[in-house]
Amino acid sequence: MLVLTRGGYALPGTSTDFKTGTWRTSRPQHQHWAAPCHSACPAGEDAQAYIAQVQENHPREAWETIVTVNPLPSVTGRICPHPCEQACNRGSFDTPLAIHSIERFLGDEARRQGWTYPVDPGRGAGAAVAVVGAGPAGLSAAYHLRRRGYQVTLFDALPEAGGLLRSAIPINRLPRDVLDADITRILGLGIEFRGRTRLGVDVHIDELRSDYRALFLAPGTAKAKAWSVDGAVPTDHRTALELLQEWVAAGSLPTPQSVILHGGGNTALDLCRAMKRAGVKEVHLVTASGLPGPGTEPDDIINVVPRELNQAVEEGITIHPHRTIQRLLFRGSKVVGVEMVALRKLPTKSGRTGRIAFEGTETLLHADMVIPAIGENVEPTGFSTLLGGKEYFRPNNPFGRLDHTPGVFVGGDARGDRGTVSAAIGDGRLAAIAIDAYIRQGDDPEENGRDTIDFAHINLNYFEPAPRVEEPILPVAERTDTAEIDGPLSGAAITREAARCFSCGNCLACDNCWTFCPDNAVIKTTALAKDGSHYVFDYEYCKGCGVCASECPCGYIVMNPE
Amino acid sequence: MLSALEGSQALAQAVGLCRPGVVAAYPITPQTHIVENISKLVADGRLRCELVSVESEFSAASVALGAAASGVRAYTASSSQGILLMAEVLYNISGMRIPMVMTCANRAVGAPLNIWNDQQDSMAVRDSGWIQLYCADNQEAVDTTIQAFRIAERTEVPVMVCVDGFVLTHTLEPIDLPTQEQVDRFLPPYHFSRALDSRNPLSLGTCVDPSFFTEARHSQHQAVLRATTEIMAADRDYAGIIGRSGGGLLSVVGPAEADVAILALGSVCSTVQESMQLFPQDRPVKLIKLRAYRPFPMAALREVLQGVRDLVVLERAIAPGSGGIVGMEVRSLATTLTQLPRIHNYAVGLGGRDVPIEIYPRLVEAITRADEPAWFEIFDLEPEKLPVEDR
Repeated sequence: MLVLTRGGYALPGTSTDFKTGTWRTSRPQHQHWAAPCHSACPAGEDAQAYIAQVQENHPREAWETIVTVNPLPSVTGRICPHPCEQACNRGSFDTPLAIHSIERFLGDEARRQGWTYPVDPGRGAGAAVAVVGAGPAGLSAAYHLRRRGYQVTLFDALPEAGGLLRSAIPINRLPRDVLDADITRILGLGIEFRGRTRLGVDVHIDELRSDYRALFLAPGTAKAKAWSVDGAVPTDHRTALELLQEWVAAGSLPTPQSVILHGGGNTALDLCRAMKRAGVKEVHLVTASGLPGPGTEPDDIINVVPRELNQAVEEGITIHPHRTIQRLLFRGSKVVGVEMVALRKLPTKSGRTGRIAFEGTETLLHADMVIPAIGENVEPTGFSTLLGGKEYFRPNNPFGRLDHTPGVFVGGDARGDRGTVSAAIGDGRLAAIAIDAYIRQGDDPEENGRDTIDFAHINLNYFEPAPRVEEPILPVAERTDTAEIDGPLSGAAITREAARCFSCGNCLACDNCWTFCPDNAVIKTTALAKDGSHYVFDYEYCKGCGVCASECPCGYIVMNPE
Repeated sequence: MLSALEGSQALAQAVGLCRPGVVAAYPITPQTHIVENISKLVADGRLRCELVSVESEFSAASVALGAAASGVRAYTASSSQGILLMAEVLYNISGMRIPMVMTCANRAVGAPLNIWNDQQDSMAVRDSGWIQLYCADNQEAVDTTIQAFRIAERTEVPVMVCVDGFVLTHTLEPIDLPTQEQVDRFLPPYHFSRALDSRNPLSLGTCVDPSFFTEARHSQHQAVLRATTEIMAADRDYAGIIGRSGGGLLSVVGPAEADVAILALGSVCSTVQESMQLFPQDRPVKLIKLRAYRPFPMAALREVLQGVRDLVVLERAIAPGSGGIVGMEVRSLATTLTQLPRIHNYAVGLGGRDVPIEIYPRLVEAITRADEPAWFEIFDLEPEKLPVEDR
């Protein structure tokens, strides 16, 4: 029989005998979500992770986080259209983080300070892998294979590595010393580069397949798509990519009084701006896409770097959105203009959306030159059998593994639905992972299954509005073909910008859960916390009230019913 | 040695002689002078004690509770509404069986607002589980306060020493204060068996569920009942050392065989006693000074009520809708006597109304004239001061 103490005294620790955890109907759990920036990045960069390291004033570690997936941050920081920023939850609060500025800063800082890539080529030494095409996809694949210890030979038809980065990106967007330095550093990891080696001419695919354990093809798209308007083609017709590459290589451009470009990508826009600067009075861009703003769905916005679009408009480029060229106007055999018609993306009979031309919206536009910029297909020389007569490679997996051709992987623009340097870099990385698995006869690599956290999970009470940093931009009058238009930002500005990050779906170590838990059921311990946070839940006492979950600024705690 | 002291000064010195570790209080008339005088003792370096100024009576009682729980002598004092604000803590102190002492400088409870003396405040907390000792004069108040610490420490039941406000607290009397040496002999340093100690932690104020609450209450009731023994022992030992009794559970003035008795608590006893000397009556009358109201000294009372035919019970409080508080309990006890006395229950001196020196002959006249004893009356009521419909 239990005997009552005088005055109801108790021995110590009785409150811990009340296992409030037995009351619980749902339990808090740490959920390491993918931040929207991470999910949106075609290269697979976890911006939240490296921004957190910038917040902690560890720029080198932040750079290392980037280069575990992308060896070219100073390139992507400059020219990627940064879908991460469109996805950024902060955009629903004030303005998205300037993720590209942070990325560029870290890339430049690595070069300035001579940080070496964190590469340990010990594992898998000896196995030789060939990579064809030294553009961003090939460079990325070579880098990631080298990281895994493979002997990599990188082939390219041109004398220097870089692909379109070198041949078609304007120097005032991507200074060549930046590109050269990064490529040199990548090749310096022990990658053998063989330039002036064209597939199908200097080297053959069967040779490569027998000499190397695996092969990654990243030939890009070099063959201009056939373009005509209702069967008609101007006699002097040149494609935009061709002209752009000539201008980048030699600095020369045709300078008619007026020009119409037809297309909606960076190639078109870059050429528009170059021609305007070269002296063309009227430069028109006719594009089926829309301009950012009300009435334009996000997937209908012209696919260019947003700030480039602003700069082009500043420079006097006339953009005709939601239009296509319906007819070319000729005087004799010389083109003198076009007839445009309005287009809209609308549901078609099949239920999918398609672009529909509106009869009665035709307008005429006069110009001395019409330049198509509607894209390119794969140039199949050397691997036409593999391509099987198609315009692009269409492997049914993200790794670029080709069915029926063991050991051959493809990636980059040659897949046809990529179109950005980031996507190419992502392809190179995924192919490297798959090639590693293939050579080691390991299991198929698994994709990261983390769900993406949405804006509603962020507790805005813990964040203050703060202006986004903007890099200094050269005034229109001072812009040239060579000087970089977007200037650098200081370390202080980058740190300030990083501080704006919501740390979506990740632990900020803010102590809110630990502070607010009414049952002291959140234990602060970096020794026991294995999930990247600083805390563990004591489910013996957690009664499932959910205060921690609602007060977590970052959505890192979720309540799961039991 | 006698010295002329205001009641509050005398009480402060008596508390000081008991070497309290902590005093916590919040000022309220008529208690204020007591704590002011303790404060002066501390400020003058005559008393080493932690004097805690708090923001309310609730906190005063709580601080004293915590201090006493840690094993030091703790003391507080209050009055009237202050006692009521402490009420929750008073139940906690007694329920946790924490020994401490407080003075209730008795005062009416508002509304109407009234700062003067009656005993409504201590009567309102009579069921809080505290020992209640009522003092007839300031010498008794001094002696009772010193005894209260020993009673509390030996019974682990808190003691409330009830001292009529103004009538005692603000009145000068020749007081014989015991010496420090005498008090130290009577009240040696003590060790609280359940003292809080961070090296050996204990939980107090824990939840006791229905399977034990009944037993907890029974045990508390028994502890207060059994305190009669310690109250008598303390008075006897005090008399042995200091040479003066504090009044035991109760005391009787007048012929023991008298068949008329007047029972009262507090300073009104002194007034009646004085009146009995000034206005002797033909009929022998004895005065029963009830010092211990809690525990209610049933055996001692039964003894002194044996053979009484007319019993006057004087109240300084009222239970509206019922009547006398003490009277009801005495009436209930009287049913166990072989001969049931006629019980005349009167309230006098509510809210500081003067209890005149002629009180004794008036009471005797009233009970002699009455055909039926008064079940309960306010003795000094002047009904003409009320509108007719409220009389």
